[in-house]
Amino acid sequence: MPVLSLQNVSKRYGALQALSGVTFDVPRGAIFGVLGPNGSGKTTLLGIVTDVLKADSGTYTLFDRTATAAERRQIGTLLETPNFYHYLSGYKNLRISAAVKQRSEADIARVLEICGLTARQHSAFKTYSLGMKQRLALAAVLLGDPEVLILDEPTNGLDPAGIAEVRDLIRRLADTGKTIILASHLLDEVEKVCTHVAILKTGQLLLSGAVNEVISRNDYLELSAADNGALKAAMLQYPGCTSAEINGATVIAIFSATPDAAAVNAYLAEKGIWLQQLLLRKKSLEKTFLEITNVL
Amino acid sequence: MKRIIYTEWLKVKNYRVFWVILVIAAIMIPAGSYVPAEIYTRQLKDAAKMLGQAPFSFPVVWQTVANISSYVTTLFGLLMVILVTNEYTFRTNRQNIIDGWDRKEFVYAKLFWVVALSLMAFLLSALTACTYGFVYGDKPFSTENFIYLIYYWLQVVLTLCIALLLSVWVKRAGFAIVLFLGYTMMLEQTLVFMLKRSVGRIGGLLPLQTADELLPFPVVGKMISSADRYDDSIYLFGLLLYIAVVIYLVFRKILRSDL
Repeated sequence: MPVLSLQNVSKRYGALQALSGVTFDVPRGAIFGVLGPNGSGKTTLLGIVTDVLKADSGTYTLFDRTATAAERRQIGTLLETPNFYHYLSGYKNLRISAAVKQRSEADIARVLEICGLTARQHSAFKTYSLGMKQRLALAAVLLGDPEVLILDEPTNGLDPAGIAEVRDLIRRLADTGKTIILASHLLDEVEKVCTHVAILKTGQLLLSGAVNEVISRNDYLELSAADNGALKAAMLQYPGCTSAEINGATVIAIFSATPDAAAVNAYLAEKGIWLQQLLLRKKSLEKTFLEITNVL
Repeated sequence: MKRIIYTEWLKVKNYRVFWVILVIAAIMIPAGSYVPAEIYTRQLKDAAKMLGQAPFSFPVVWQTVANISSYVTTLFGLLMVILVTNEYTFRTNRQNIIDGWDRKEFVYAKLFWVVALSLMAFLLSALTACTYGFVYGDKPFSTENFIYLIYYWLQVVLTLCIALLLSVWVKRAGFAIVLFLGYTMMLEQTLVFMLKRSVGRIGGLLPLQTADELLPFPVVGKMISSADRYDDSIYLFGLLLYIAVVIYLVFRKILRSDL
């Protein structure tokens, strides 16, 4: 049973087509990355799912049911910016969140502790730094320990230590079996945690599914020898090597399947080419993403 | 509904601006009638007797206080504008929906304030009229004319509904306040004046004017010819219709548009 299922969802703002017939499912237990450059429709998509935006056409379900307020209460959501009453303290704001979510106020102390805000819980929200506001929003998301989380750019405004903390928090939550829908344009962030992805570009869904199935991120070798020209020629004859290019002082060899570095080393030695460097590397999600969004 | 009211209570409990305006509005109700009561009772006693009206004696006092209190309603409207536009300023209207309120529940939450503030104004006016009737009047207690306080309550309800509608339409506090004050204090009065002069009594059927027509000051009301106005039932019907239409428009706006 998918936690979220979208069927042909479209949305237009005047002349701008923000989403065009987007369809995909988010399976239970997945860490689902919604990727795309700024303006690709990620927040619009999540806005529709959380009922703050109205789709022009298409439908969606939450927990396999028509989405209503009751379904939304089972989801912890951080959409865009942290939205709180400026004149109230962090603690009092969370009391309001708990009341709306119909969760116990007894959980507030726990989520404040997780997000490192216990010491400042009674300060007014307007006195918080950007990072603290973001952490309060995360605390609100975690109230009542929901099974599904929707996080739209959750590391916005955080310093490097805060980013690492949030990433660690997401991993820990994922380990407990929660479903997490994570929208981000920071691919490094997504690469480290996601099991599934949907990639959007100018409102169009380019692809979606399990990361390993939908994104071909073949390993490649980075090699160097005394004569890189000979090295390149030899690699082009190696079975499974689809390309070899000289890139500065190294040769980048790409393969149709994961290469066996030891076998390549032996093969080159037989040809009298002695390697000075041999590194097995994985293509970054960023590089793959740029290839996908530029080609499709 | 209990949960919605509790949530709204949490929002205002520590909001100083809300309490300051509320206290000022609450004080204005007895204070607004105090000076006229003193003047009529002590200085214009003979004039009032000549007109056959003692504005602060039972049963006329209900009408007198209802009329004077109706001038304070704008303050309650401002409070309404602040309560609603705050949600847009802080974007908490979105967050309430994201966190699990139905859009309808957001409207119910704001309609709760329409009911709460209007009942408070009604009760304070009733208490003021009762007290002043005993203190400044010379006739025994009577509930005749109490209907004017019901008209006053409906006037407050309509004013608060208009404040709510303007707030959800324009969303920005400053703009909504200017529009609200402009409409309630000047624009509608001007339109009423122009319409009455050019097409006659139909000018009295503009939204807030329907309530004003039902709430004349006792002495002045007697001087208006019945040919210049419709029967009270027409104004009452118009007033109730406006309340229903405005509430419908608020629901329509909130349920259909992007937040």
